[in-house]
Amino acid sequence: MENIKKYLDRRATRRILIDWAFILPQLILFVSLTILPFFIGLPMVFTDRLSFVDKEAEYVGLDNFTKAFTEPGIKDEVLPALARTARFTLLNYAMVYIFGLTLALLMYEVGFKGGFFTVIYLPMMLSGLAIGFIASMLFSRSTGTANLLLLQLGLIDKPIDIKAASGIDFVLPLLSGWRYAGFNMAIFLAGLLSIPTDTIEAAVVDGASYLERLIHVYFPQMVGSFIIATIFCLIGSFNIFDELVALGGLYGNQEASFLSIIFFTYGFQRGRLAVGLTMALQLGIPLFAIGLLLHRIRQRFQYET
Amino acid sequence: MQKNTKVSKGGLVTRFSRQKRISKVLIITFFIVYTLFTLFPFYALFVRTFVGTKHSTDLWLSPPPMEEASLQYQWGNLSVFYNLDLDKVKADLGIPDDAYIQPRWSLERIAKEFNIPEQKIKDYFTPYSVYSGWIVLLSDSRFWPALLRTILVTVISLMGLNFLSILTGFGLAGLRRKDQVIVFNLYLLSAVIPLMMILLPQYVIVQWVLNLIPGYDVSGSSARNLSQLVAIILLHVKGGALGTMIYTGYISTIPKDLEDAAEVDGANRLQYFRYIVLPNMKIPMATLTVMVLPSLWNDFMGPYIYLDTNNTTLLPLIQSYTGTYTTNYQVSYTGIFISVIPLVIIYILFRNWFIRGAMSGAVKG
Repeated sequence: MENIKKYLDRRATRRILIDWAFILPQLILFVSLTILPFFIGLPMVFTDRLSFVDKEAEYVGLDNFTKAFTEPGIKDEVLPALARTARFTLLNYAMVYIFGLTLALLMYEVGFKGGFFTVIYLPMMLSGLAIGFIASMLFSRSTGTANLLLLQLGLIDKPIDIKAASGIDFVLPLLSGWRYAGFNMAIFLAGLLSIPTDTIEAAVVDGASYLERLIHVYFPQMVGSFIIATIFCLIGSFNIFDELVALGGLYGNQEASFLSIIFFTYGFQRGRLAVGLTMALQLGIPLFAIGLLLHRIRQRFQYET
Repeated sequence: MQKNTKVSKGGLVTRFSRQKRISKVLIITFFIVYTLFTLFPFYALFVRTFVGTKHSTDLWLSPPPMEEASLQYQWGNLSVFYNLDLDKVKADLGIPDDAYIQPRWSLERIAKEFNIPEQKIKDYFTPYSVYSGWIVLLSDSRFWPALLRTILVTVISLMGLNFLSILTGFGLAGLRRKDQVIVFNLYLLSAVIPLMMILLPQYVIVQWVLNLIPGYDVSGSSARNLSQLVAIILLHVKGGALGTMIYTGYISTIPKDLEDAAEVDGANRLQYFRYIVLPNMKIPMATLTVMVLPSLWNDFMGPYIYLDTNNTTLLPLIQSYTGTYTTNYQVSYTGIFISVIPLVIIYILFRNWFIRGAMSGAVKG
C-alpha cells in the first residue's frame, strides 16, 4: 500500500515536471516581453532618465506624476493629446455599435450570409498604416477622392480636411469603424446566435415589437458580447498608432498627435523618457484595471447562464 | 362564427409574412449598398495608384489615360513629380553619370546636349504619367528584399507561434492543477494589457539582449540584421490570450480514453504528444493562423522600432516615402496597395476559415 502511494506521488510529480517542460519555452518569452517590462518600467518612473542610454539618471520622487499636467512645455502638448485620444475613443466606441451591432442585428434577421460576411470582414486585412493612408487618400482637402466625389455629387459644399482637427475627429473613427465592422459584427452575431430561440419566439407570440424584443430579450442575453466589444475598443483606441504615423503624427502634424504619439516621441526622440513612461503608466494602469474588471464581470455572467 | 375566426387568422398570418418579406428585401438591399461602401476605398486606392501628383486634384473613378511627355518638362520638376532616382534615369538614357544637369534644363535641351533622340526621351518619360508609383516602387532596390523579409518574418512567426502555443496548450490542458490555472490566467491577462504601456520598457529589454550578441554593434553586419529580425519574430511568438485559449481548449477536448489507451500501450508523454496530440491539431492551427496572420503581416511598430532602415520590412519602407518636406503620395498609395494584395488573395482563398475563426474567436473573446 505504502509503495503504491509513493509510486502515485512520484508519478504526479513527474507529470507536473513534464507539463512545465512544455509550458516553459513560451512562458519565458511571454513573461520577459509582456510582464517584465512593466516591472522594469516602474522604477524608471521615479527618476529623471532622459533616454534609453542615459546613465546619470537621478531619483526625483513623484515629480513625473504631476509634470504632465503642470509643466508648461509638456502640459500644452499632453492635455490636447489627451483630449484627442478621449474624443477618438468615444467616437470609436460609438462606431462599434453603429457598424458592428447594426450589421449583426440585420444579418440575424435575414440569416447568416457568408458572401456579405466575407466582404464586410475584408477591411480587417488592412494595416493601421493603410487606414491612415486611405484616410488621407479619401479626405485630403484638395486631392481626396471622397472629397472630390462628394463635392461633385453636391453632398458637401466644403471639402473635409483630414489635416484639420474636425477632419481627424470625424474620419478616423469612421474608417476605424469600417475596418472593424466585420470583427465587431462577429462578436455581436455570436452573442445573438447563442440566445435560445424559444425566448425570442415567446416574445413574438406575446406580440412584442422589435424594439421591445431588442431591449428585453436580445440585449440582456448579449451582455458578454457587449463587454468583449468594449474591452477590444478601449484597448485598441488607446493603442492607435500606425494610423497616426501615416497621417504625419511623427512629422509635426499636431492634429495627429495622440497620447500614443506623445509616449513614443518622448521615449524615442525627444529625451523625456521618464515623463513619457510615467504618463503611459498613469493612463495604462487604470485602463488595465477597467479591462480586468470587465473581464471579471463577463466571467460571472458566463457562470450564471 | 368559427369560419370567421379562421379567415381572419389566415389574413393575419399572410400580412405578417408579407411584412417580413418586405423587411427582408430591405435588409438585403442595405447589405448590397454596404458592400459597395466597403469595397469603394479599395477600388479608390487601386485607381489612385495610377494618379500622379499633377492629376490628383481631379476626381478619377478609373485610371487616367497616359499622357505623352512634353519636351518642355524641366529636369528638376521631373524628379519631384515622379520621385525619380536620377542616377538610374541617367544610366537608362545613356547619359554619363558624372555629367551635371541643371534642374531648370528642359528635356529638349538635355536631348540636344547628350545627343539623345527626342522620341526616345519622350517614350522614356511617358509611362511615368500614370505608372510612376509602380515604377518607382518596383525598381527600388530596397523593395524586393523588404518584401522577402516580410514574408520570412510572417511565415516563421506563424510556425513558431503555433508550435509554442501547442506546447503551452498541452502543458495546460484540462486546467486540473492550480499552477496551470495561474499560467492560463496570466496569458488571458495579456488581452487587457495596453501595448503602449509596456512599449518603452520592452524596448529596453530587447536592446539589452541584442547588445549581448557579438557583432551587433557593427552597423549593417549580418549578425546585426539577423538578430533584429529574430527580435521581431520573438515578439510575435511570445504568445497571448488567443493562442493559449484555442489550444488549451482544443487539447482538453481530446478524449481521456485516448490518453489512457496510449499509456496502457506504454507510450510516454512525449510519444503521446507526438503521435496523438500533434496530428489532431489541424483545426486549431488553421484557426489561430488565420486570426493572427493579418496582425503579423501588418505589423508596423515592431519593425519600425527594431529594424535598421536597410534591413526593414514592407510597411516601414512604404512609410519612409513620406517625410517632413516631400511626400510622394502616389508611391505611398501604390505601396499600401501592394502590401494589401497578398493578404486579400489569401483571405479570398481561405475565406471560410477566416469567417469560422472570427466567429469562434468572438465566442471565446
